[in-house]
Amino acid sequence: MLSVDKVSKRFGGLAALEDVSLSVGAGEIYGLIGPNGAGKTTLFNCMTGLYSVSEGAIRLRGVAVQNAKPHRIVGLGFARTFQNIRLFANMTALENVMVGRHIQTRTGVLGAVLRGPASRTEERETRERAHDLMAFVGLAGKGRALAGHLAYGDQRRLEIARALATEPKLLALDEPVAGMNPSERREMSELFQKLRNSGITLLLIEHDVKLVMGLCDRVAVLDYGRKIAEGAPEAVQKDPAVIEAYLGGEA
Amino acid sequence: MPAALRWLRHNPRIAFGLLAVLLVALPFLVGAGLGRSWVRVLDFALLYAMLALGLNIVVGYAGLLDLGYIAFYALGAYLYAWLGSPHFGLHLPFWLALPLGAMLAGLFGVLLGAPTLRLRGDYLAIVTLGFGEIIRIFLNNLDAPVNITNGPQGINLIDPIHIGGLSLGQTAHVFGIQLSSPHLYYYLFLVLTLATILVAMRLQDSRIGRAWAAIREDEVAAAAMGINTRNIKLLAFAMGAMFGGLAGGLFAAFQGFISPESFNLMESIMILCMIVLGGMGNIPGVILGAVLLTVLPEALRYIGDWQRAMIGHVAVDPNDLRMLLFGLAMVVMMLYRPAGLIPSRQRKREFTAEDSVAEQEQASLYDAKA
Repeated sequence: MLSVDKVSKRFGGLAALEDVSLSVGAGEIYGLIGPNGAGKTTLFNCMTGLYSVSEGAIRLRGVAVQNAKPHRIVGLGFARTFQNIRLFANMTALENVMVGRHIQTRTGVLGAVLRGPASRTEERETRERAHDLMAFVGLAGKGRALAGHLAYGDQRRLEIARALATEPKLLALDEPVAGMNPSERREMSELFQKLRNSGITLLLIEHDVKLVMGLCDRVAVLDYGRKIAEGAPEAVQKDPAVIEAYLGGEA
Repeated sequence: MPAALRWLRHNPRIAFGLLAVLLVALPFLVGAGLGRSWVRVLDFALLYAMLALGLNIVVGYAGLLDLGYIAFYALGAYLYAWLGSPHFGLHLPFWLALPLGAMLAGLFGVLLGAPTLRLRGDYLAIVTLGFGEIIRIFLNNLDAPVNITNGPQGINLIDPIHIGGLSLGQTAHVFGIQLSSPHLYYYLFLVLTLATILVAMRLQDSRIGRAWAAIREDEVAAAAMGINTRNIKLLAFAMGAMFGGLAGGLFAAFQGFISPESFNLMESIMILCMIVLGGMGNIPGVILGAVLLTVLPEALRYIGDWQRAMIGHVAVDPNDLRMLLFGLAMVVMMLYRPAGLIPSRQRKREFTAEDSVAEQEQASLYDAKA
């Protein structure tokens, strides 16, 4: 599905990522963990086209996408959410999800102005699909609310619905349960299972070890821009390098 | 009165009917009540409404601050003049010249948009301001070595619009009613303004309009949702510029004379003020802003006459007063109605949302203490 091959990203003299390689298989839930500042979000940004990579290659379903424009990557079926929620705050929740349908729809200026049968059908389908996705993530009936006025947990859900509207094969979630209470986390975890069951591969950045261990098929651990471990959650948990990264050197 | 308004709200057909009758009768009412010269003012109000609606696409919908918008108006006007005046000896019909002017302006919209794609906010404003001035200075100086624009003298004797056998430049008799040239242009401008409103409304509420709004709200998130931000921004520039070019062609035909002087920075700022005053992003607001800012300066001219009548000479030049009141109005607006006279749903929220949240938090704080 996704393969990252020896990717490095440098900001001036600072190496945020160094020779990171990993591969995510279709249907997996793949976790990316690591201490703060390890480069997880940087890797996400490189993968989704927001950052150019300094070196290395990223392949999405066989297509080289390093340094491709974000909208092209979305077009290849790779959508994401943001750690610091980036909704279109002054648009309604439903409009946010409808924006996500942009790449799946065609209506141009002429279609928008003339409103022929094709563009009217498309608009209706866009609306219906957006309603369905809102219901899928548990936001049924909240479509008219402003995105910025939704409760925090609902904003996270809305971001997922908006990303799903692009019909991704691979969905990258950047700390989707950050700041949530245990029962909300459980609900989100169920949502992720539901997503996987609907055939979407998940890539997850998360700090909640319990959630990662319970949910992910495989995890990779980043520390100071390097991958220090990868494998099944139980194995990674026991890896001395990982323990050291999280707890500091042996005392 | 409010009861009557409420009744109209529940009977939109009757309300629209009354509005239509009012719009058709308006030039006669204005002409009879205020004098013939006010029909011309009415024409300009419609022209500016078209311009403001065009700029509103760029600034209000897509959030790209454009201070050189008047350049597109100028391009539309000059192309119309080149294609229909003795200057080059060409006399193309309006239905060819106007769309060509709009297309030329749209093309320049893209040309201006392309290098500014990475710029935002203030930086974009500066570059577009420069672009507007460059166009004006070119128009001023392109009379040598080859005389293209006729320099500061401008182009004269531009063909009026002919529809069928009817020249809008002369008084005509339609069904026994005598219609002067400003009356005829009023109806043409009215139809085109209504068309512009329709296009602007439909664009706003469409896939394209949502993409513009998304870019305005958060460009990075918009790109991450699959929007080709480059193309969608260029489209906003092009669409806005096309309306500007169309209005420019109409202006040239209506005036019969254009010169670079009509397209200075002050005009760009005026149009931007119309949008800000009326309510950015909101079509009724933008139209109200355009009408107010066209009509009020004309009304201020009476102050000169009053002064002459009261004290025998003009002590304060109405023109100076105009700018003074303008500045004052803007300051008052920013203080009391920052989102405009008729704010759009979204802008209103942007300007009030945080305050109301803070207030609520403050209120609940005291609840807890009690």
